[in-house]
Amino acid sequence: MLTIENLTHVYGNGTRALDDVSLAIPKGMFGLLGPNGAGKSTLMRSIATLQTPTSGSIRFGDIDVVKDPEKLRRVLGYLPQDFGVYPRVSAYDMLDHMAVLKGISNGRDRKATVEALLHQVNLWPVRGKALAGFSGGMRQRFGIAQALIGNPDLIIVDEPTAGLDPEERNRFLNLLAEVGESVVIILSTHIVEDVTDLCPRMAVLAGGRIQLEGSPIELMHTLEGRVWTKTIDKAGLAEFSKQHNVISTRLFAGRTVVHVLSDTSPGAGFERAPGGLEDVYLATVNASRRAA
Amino acid sequence: MFAKIASFEFRYQLRQPAFWVIAIVFGLLAFGLVASDNVSIGSGGNVNRNAPFALAGAHIVFNVFFMLATTAIVANVVARDTQTGFGPMILSTRITKGAYLYGRFFGAFAAVALCYLSIAIGTLLGTFMPWVDPETLGPLRLGDYAYAYGVFGLTGLFLTSALFFTLATVTRSMMATYIGVVAVLIAYLASTGVLGSRPEFETAMAWAEPFGSGAYALVTKYWTAAERNTLNAPLEGVLLWNRVIWTAVGAVLLAAAYGLYRPSPRGAKLKKQERLKALVETDVVVTPVGALPKPSYGFASGLTQLWSRAVFETVLVFRSPAYVVLVLLAMAFAVATLFFTGEIYGAPILLVTRVVITALTGTFGLISMIIAIYYAGELVWRDRDRKVHEIVDASSTPDWTFLVPKTLALALVLISTLLIGVLAGVVTQTIKGHTDYELGKYLMWYVFPQSLSFLQLAVLAIFVQALSPNKFVGWAIMVVYLISTIVLSNLGFDHPLYQYGQGVGMPLSDMNGRGDFAVFAAWFVAYWSAFAIILLVLAYGLWRRGTEQRLWPRLKRLPHRLAGPAGLIGGAALAAFIGLGVFIYVNTNVWNEYRTQEAREAEQADYEKTLLRYETTPQPSVADVRLVMDLRPHQPKLTTRGAYVLVNNTPAPLREVHLRWQDDLDMVGLTVEGATVAREWENFEYRIYRFATPMQPGERRNVTFETVLEQRGFRANGNTTRLVDNGSFVNNMEFAPTVGMDRQGLLTDRTRRRKLGLPAELRPAKLEDEAARVRNYIGADWVTADITVSTDADQTVVAPGRMVFDAVSGDRRTSRFVTESPVLNFFSVQSARYERTARMHDGVEMVVFHDPAHDRNVPRMLDALSSSLDYFQSNFSPYQFRQARIVEFPDYASFAQSYPNTFAWSEGLGFIADLSDETRVDYVTYVAAHEFAHQWWAHQVVGSDQQGSTVLSETLAQYSALMVMEKTYGRDQIRRFLKQELDRYLRSRGTERLEELPLMRVENQPYIYYQKGGLVMYLLRDQIGEDAVNRALRRVLAQYAFKGAPYPRSLDLIAAIRAEAPADKQALITDLFERITLYDVKTTGVTSTRRADGRWDVAVTVDARKLYADGEGVETAAPLNEIFDVGIFSAEPGKGAFDEDDVILLERRPIRSGVQTLRFVATREPRFAGVDPYNKWIDRDSNDNVRAVG
Repeated sequence: MLTIENLTHVYGNGTRALDDVSLAIPKGMFGLLGPNGAGKSTLMRSIATLQTPTSGSIRFGDIDVVKDPEKLRRVLGYLPQDFGVYPRVSAYDMLDHMAVLKGISNGRDRKATVEALLHQVNLWPVRGKALAGFSGGMRQRFGIAQALIGNPDLIIVDEPTAGLDPEERNRFLNLLAEVGESVVIILSTHIVEDVTDLCPRMAVLAGGRIQLEGSPIELMHTLEGRVWTKTIDKAGLAEFSKQHNVISTRLFAGRTVVHVLSDTSPGAGFERAPGGLEDVYLATVNASRRAA
Repeated sequence: MFAKIASFEFRYQLRQPAFWVIAIVFGLLAFGLVASDNVSIGSGGNVNRNAPFALAGAHIVFNVFFMLATTAIVANVVARDTQTGFGPMILSTRITKGAYLYGRFFGAFAAVALCYLSIAIGTLLGTFMPWVDPETLGPLRLGDYAYAYGVFGLTGLFLTSALFFTLATVTRSMMATYIGVVAVLIAYLASTGVLGSRPEFETAMAWAEPFGSGAYALVTKYWTAAERNTLNAPLEGVLLWNRVIWTAVGAVLLAAAYGLYRPSPRGAKLKKQERLKALVETDVVVTPVGALPKPSYGFASGLTQLWSRAVFETVLVFRSPAYVVLVLLAMAFAVATLFFTGEIYGAPILLVTRVVITALTGTFGLISMIIAIYYAGELVWRDRDRKVHEIVDASSTPDWTFLVPKTLALALVLISTLLIGVLAGVVTQTIKGHTDYELGKYLMWYVFPQSLSFLQLAVLAIFVQALSPNKFVGWAIMVVYLISTIVLSNLGFDHPLYQYGQGVGMPLSDMNGRGDFAVFAAWFVAYWSAFAIILLVLAYGLWRRGTEQRLWPRLKRLPHRLAGPAGLIGGAALAAFIGLGVFIYVNTNVWNEYRTQEAREAEQADYEKTLLRYETTPQPSVADVRLVMDLRPHQPKLTTRGAYVLVNNTPAPLREVHLRWQDDLDMVGLTVEGATVAREWENFEYRIYRFATPMQPGERRNVTFETVLEQRGFRANGNTTRLVDNGSFVNNMEFAPTVGMDRQGLLTDRTRRRKLGLPAELRPAKLEDEAARVRNYIGADWVTADITVSTDADQTVVAPGRMVFDAVSGDRRTSRFVTESPVLNFFSVQSARYERTARMHDGVEMVVFHDPAHDRNVPRMLDALSSSLDYFQSNFSPYQFRQARIVEFPDYASFAQSYPNTFAWSEGLGFIADLSDETRVDYVTYVAAHEFAHQWWAHQVVGSDQQGSTVLSETLAQYSALMVMEKTYGRDQIRRFLKQELDRYLRSRGTERLEELPLMRVENQPYIYYQKGGLVMYLLRDQIGEDAVNRALRRVLAQYAFKGAPYPRSLDLIAAIRAEAPADKQALITDLFERITLYDVKTTGVTSTRRADGRWDVAVTVDARKLYADGEGVETAAPLNEIFDVGIFSAEPGKGAFDEDDVILLERRPIRSGVQTLRFVATREPRFAGVDPYNKWIDRDSNDNVRAVG
């Protein structure tokens, strides 16, 4: 169980990236959903011991993460949002090197680890190739492989699907789904489907605060019967937005399809829409923006 | 379109920080060139800092290094579109290829040209700095700047811009272009370094060198200071063609860029990605792995991580293209340097490992420093630069397994440069045929000590990077550090206690090994290693982990992180650092005296101001010296008990005697018979004793003294190289008191002298000053000596005179030496484990005392001594001793010097000469003959202490040696030798500090008394005959040998020569000795026609003139009327296998000023003909004397 209490982080330039965040994350896949700039990466890095929060505490089991980062690193697998590679270093060598860094010091153990993981993420055929030539999806697979070294109890995966094409994304999520239920996995993302597909529990982070927490199904229930949809002309959108609580808009065949949140029917032309997780998310984010 | 693109590009470049950084850096370098006393290109001596010669030199030399900057600007114009991905967007517009390429090129080239103005601006600003000695500046002449910028700056820039622009256009990669730059740089430096130093390639270099330095050097090689200060080389001949040709090469390259440019961007990288992707994108069923092996933690795991990371980091560096380029650069540089190391008179030395190591240490110093600075930044910041840091920093590995491997990797990179040096050394040795590689010396004298010092450097560079907010700041700090160490040393703040990583010098000698210097050096290595450990611990404590970059949060955590083993290690290192520091301080500053250079100079100035006034105070002479010396080579310590007999040789009673001794000498006891100390300057080791009753003319008095010369512990610098384990070499000025004041040990640097309120120059007494004849220029009287020395039993002592006693008792050996004829009171005592090789010749015992391993050239030395003895005894006078001894000393100094019946000779000179090539000058014979000749010319006849004195010793020794060489090897080798001497004389004139003087007035000007002296004497012998010259010399010997005051002057030699010379040579003698005379004879045409009788009519047209030069080199023509050799040959004299058979005809003909045609009849078909074909005259251009027929 990962427990975060009153976590606040203020950057040198005064940006309050995290504002009094408290979360309790149980074993299993946990989705952390939020728009760009919500503070997700700051939160992930703070948990991953890469930066020290301004105040607040992070505990993982018995480990006080802020005080004893070394201890947490021993049970941590971390896939950062954006990572690079050394030039002229192959996937095998780099994974082997990461295994050394993570304490797999016995040569035989390391070989077993590296080979098993390369097979698991299906990079075995290209193990001797330089990482620098890998596509985004292949790189992310390498990233998850290195995160899995040494059976970590806490795995943090920060925005892993950003920039992947649908096929690559699909493959990556399949991989993640296999990691197992017995460890804490935090998946931070701004793509709602990632969470829908994988996570039994989730939270929405926006403006540095936790806006919402729960299981996706429960959260979707809260919107049941309250989401209405209507197709309008593009030109009318501004006026429309003043009158209604718009949670999302999208274009369809040149006209705008609007989702509106309302306990009762907002008026003529509206139809009831099935509330998805996306509506929950967008409603929450919009609410937090309005509040800000 | 073109103009718009060019102007856009120009403005774009001006907005780039790179442009301004380059301008500032080069501007500062150029500024430093003028404003600092320590670096110069082209200036120095009487050549002003802003002389046109210096400005041209700066604009040429900077062009070479500006290549890197040029590339940053010019290559970028093409490569950047590929880098940024803007290429396709630009290519889809309507601009034409030509406008695009050349518009951009010329815009960028304009920026480059503007940037290069920083050189002119920097040099210009430098001249206005208040500390610059106005004596070293000429008037401000903007035209000189324009000439240098236009003729050398712009043309060179155009060539390099075009070259690297084209390269970048073809490769579209900055990296590839930079590798090209480095390759060009290597090729350039290696080829010019090797060929540029050799006169036989100077014409080839003049055409081939692309920046014009070869052409400029050729055109200006004999320029005097006056010419260098005022003239810009006329834009004609080879200089003009060189610039035109290389600019045309640039234009061709630029044109080629058009053809080679391919507008389609390369998609190779994307394609490769797709191919890889295809390999792994088949949908496979993912089988989850079971439990993976568990990590383990602890020390063993830490070691594995340390090792793995060290290998990983090192391999990353070793595989990078930059490293490969650096290695090639270093290798080429080292081989090029080593190839001509140690040549003397064009003759090679055996490339012994010691010489290689000395050369490598000098060559690699700065390169290693640059590598350390560069790679420290790369290593510390690599994880961040490659954005791998979040992954690796989140792993469980402890911080020290990042820090230590990076330090090790850096050290390994540096050490690899050492191994490259060793490889270069062994390769060069093999090429040169020296296969005794002495790998042990490479290891212990070079790789090991340098590795330790590189490790320290690596730690510092890593520490700085660990603290810096980014790589560039870290680099900047290291560069500032580098400059500050140089500046501090130059200011004289050179104590190794506060210069990081510095120690005491470790001079190398094959005789004495590393001696005690290795032990001294070890203390400093330990001291700085302790400090390096402290730095490492701090770097660990402040290590940047995670995404936090700021220093302050890390500083706050520091105490917490130092609690534990890190703190203990740091504490122990701190304790060791302080303890060692105290110990070193006691050695360098308590047991020995340490002063900064400034303090030393101030004391020298004070000494001069206080005591120089006694220089001419009449003093008694030393007539007899008795010494009992106890030498302990391993302590080292020399105790001397001695007695002088003083005699008043002056015509008047003397009330005082002045005694002084060297700073390092401990005077335990000193008494003067019948005298008491009247005045003493303790800090100057100077005493005046006053006689109770004045010393009458002819009266004798005794002086007794006891001295101790030793070194306790070690010094910060200048550890004794005189008393060493094997190869002690001391002279009597070092261990015994001297009578009277002289100019030894005074400050000589002109600028420093004036700053300290002294006259800029202390010049000797004028030739006409009769009063100066009471002293000789060596400052020693004629004495008899009786010297007893004891040393370790396994060593042999050599002191002046004949050994009359030699016995070993216990572990001590005692030898006694007695002189058989008067000697100058300036002699040496040497002691080492010598092998003694001897030969009797004509009743004289010839001996070489040498290291057992240095026997290679000993037979040649003995031969040389024998033939010298023969010539000197039959032409000058009998030799005054019964032995002639060559005694080797360690290569702590590189000279040979003649003491009474003893020639001290450095192991670095004749003992490692490679005499296998018989066409090269045999300088072993030459030096042996020269030093032996000093037994007459210095040890019998010694000049008075005034202008021209060295003519009687050095010039005559030079003449004597030339004669011995001629008898041994024939005239052709002498001609080759003298041609080099002529070249050296003509070149040296240009860098004269004061004024050039005629030979008879020569002051401290070796190029006159050696080079010109030899030329003059050899020509004289050619013109008046060997017998006449030697008769004149015998005349001088008869009159002055072993005589005291008044000592002879150069005038006495000239008078003797005049007395032996015919009337028609008197004017020539005036020209050679009393004036600065230059001849300029030139063969302008040679024609030959076959006669009916089968012989050949030959007409040789000669243009001749004679010039008198003043001290600054300003010349005035004078009528020439002398007898010259004119010759007709079937091969070119002085080239290849030319020998006597190729001489068809050689006649002496009168030559006058102006053009004249000389007619001859030759028996064979002539190929070459000319005037003064053997270069006997001091000819301003010795290469135009002979011409091919036609």
